[in-house]
Amino acid sequence: MSLLSALARGAEIPIFAATGTRGLALVERLARRPGLRLVASPRHARVLLVAGAVDAAHQRALERLHAQVPPPRGTVWWQAPPLFARGETVAGDDPLPAIRRAAMANDPDQRPDVPPHPWQGMGPHGQGGTGMMGGNPHGRPMAMTAEDIRDGLALDAYTARFGPFLPMLPPGLVMDLTLQGDVIVSAHVASPPFDQGPEGDRPAPCAARMLRLMGIGPRAARARGALLALSKGSGTRRRLSAWLRGEEVTETPEPLPDALPGLEWAEAVLWLASFPPSRLRAACMQGQAA
Amino acid sequence: MTHIAMPIILVLLAIAFTIAIQRIGAQGSATWPGRAPFLGGGLPETHAWQRFHVRYYPMAVLFIAFEMEMMFMYPWAVVYVETGPVALAEMGMFLGILSIGILYGWREGVFRWQ
Amino acid sequence: MIAATLALLLALPLLVWTAAIFDRIGTGRGATVLGPLRSGAALLLRPNTPTEAPDRLNRLLAPGWYLALALVGLSVVPLAPGIVASDLSTGLVLWGACEALTVVVVFLHGWSPNAPLPLIGAYRYVAIGLPAMLLSMFVLIGAALPAQSLSVLAVVEAQRDLWNVVRQPLGLPLFMALGLAITLRGPFDYADGAELAGGTSAEESGPALAMWQFARAAMLVAFSGMAATAFLGGHLGPVLPGPLWLLLKTLAVMAATVAAGRFFARMPPARMLTLLWVVLLPLSFANLALVGVTVLP
Repeated sequence: MSLLSALARGAEIPIFAATGTRGLALVERLARRPGLRLVASPRHARVLLVAGAVDAAHQRALERLHAQVPPPRGTVWWQAPPLFARGETVAGDDPLPAIRRAAMANDPDQRPDVPPHPWQGMGPHGQGGTGMMGGNPHGRPMAMTAEDIRDGLALDAYTARFGPFLPMLPPGLVMDLTLQGDVIVSAHVASPPFDQGPEGDRPAPCAARMLRLMGIGPRAARARGALLALSKGSGTRRRLSAWLRGEEVTETPEPLPDALPGLEWAEAVLWLASFPPSRLRAACMQGQAA
Repeated sequence: MTHIAMPIILVLLAIAFTIAIQRIGAQGSATWPGRAPFLGGGLPETHAWQRFHVRYYPMAVLFIAFEMEMMFMYPWAVVYVETGPVALAEMGMFLGILSIGILYGWREGVFRWQ
Repeated sequence: MIAATLALLLALPLLVWTAAIFDRIGTGRGATVLGPLRSGAALLLRPNTPTEAPDRLNRLLAPGWYLALALVGLSVVPLAPGIVASDLSTGLVLWGACEALTVVVVFLHGWSPNAPLPLIGAYRYVAIGLPAMLLSMFVLIGAALPAQSLSVLAVVEAQRDLWNVVRQPLGLPLFMALGLAITLRGPFDYADGAELAGGTSAEESGPALAMWQFARAAMLVAFSGMAATAFLGGHLGPVLPGPLWLLLKTLAVMAATVAAGRFFARMPPARMLTLLWVVLLPLSFANLALVGVTVLP
């Protein structure tokens, strides 16, 4: 055990970055720092880094993320006012010392330990009730059947609020998605993405983000294969090639509830990532105002 | 019987090793919020288990056809050189007929996702 | 048999470490040699978080099944003439079984946490993994043709005058495509990809995550050993002893596979499905026909 601890002391610190307003540029700066590693899921992380201001409406979501980082955990608020009393705040440009301190810390839980739904139903595990899979076994109901948009079969529909801090979606975008399998059946925007300012629209980081979703690094030579990998219809290829040439993209997407249904998950994620953050935010806010 | 003993022993070793390693760490975060599925801060309404329809039926039929061809080709590979060009012609016909199946499936849109 | 098994079990952790080192080269993260050990140790000290209502048995065992398949696949690789851990006369069939069961194991890994992102990763992987298995079996049967046998020992012996990579030039690239698929890497990483926030591994932490990554690297080692044996002549070579040649060829294939994983972009699954069935599978038929013609006396 002591050998493990000795080895682990020099390891890179895994960080989950919850990106807020103007946070994308901050997180890009951290991507290549030695000594830390940006991970895709809070469960792989040791430190929760909030980069950029997050408005108070998303406090509950941040608290849920905080709970999903396995204890012992640390929190760092980088250029962001703290929304709950955990971790330390960094106002400057270098969060690394604070991250190192947070990696030694042990935050207590923020959310109370209650099950998500009250147990209902007739059986001892909360099962039973109306419908084929009624009741709330283990605290949640099972997914019920619904019509499939592709060929009318009635298979299970999964509805969830896909939250503001998913690493593959634009930060701040909260959508109520109904999925059948991995095809989006309906999408409703609950909250638009955060404002990333003019640095968020620059071609090189936008292209790098898209290429990272396709699993390769941002070198232009390999990106030629990335253009062939995308399908032609939705304009994703056109926008990525513009970014790779160094031009800014000025297209605005059509409203998300019209464009997303029928797309499968990877295509939807790449489509969302192919728009500059400011245009996507404008389209979502327009959709909400309408 | 002894031929399969070594693979079985290796399987048991691997399983034992994995279980042992996973018992090292503490079973942490047994709180309800810590166990919720990762949705970037969002909330699910139901359990995640659902029946996917990945449009397997036409693709599965094609896959099974090729699996059966593979079963046929295992012993075919062993006797191929002795049998000579007849074996090549037979296998060519088999593969050709199944390739027409792929072509038909492509035209019918079997390999599309939605 | 026993000696070969012991040699494999002793060499496996070192080769897994080497695979992890290859993964780090070129990512610019530094600490190439000790980094994997440090990260692994740090992971082992983290807790193993449960999820809300998981399939507990499969969640515990899924990395174990994956490691078991990697070990069994590695055991059919001969280390020297006549020295092999699993002395089967149908070694290629056992390897094919290991590949096919990988699809099931990855699916179980994604099914067990009862969470949406892992489940999507699991289902996508099944749809892509099935045709990838077909691809590899046609290529391996092409390797069995000159040997007139399904035993891996005979496949190596048949390469004494000419390596299979020369007899079927398309064989090794197509087999490497399969290698990327069974080790969940690069363009075939539909199970653990970045667009799913880690996919089937998204809800894992601590020792379970460390075991899954270990098993992935072990599968890379097993695949590289098999590719070196079936296409590059295994332990055959002029000056150095047999096992050393096998090691060098395995390391070369491992490096090439890791590089290929970083070079190609991952397509949306529908496009990859079409590519597999319409382009790559007919290429493997053509490859088989070519070998068939050249092998006839």
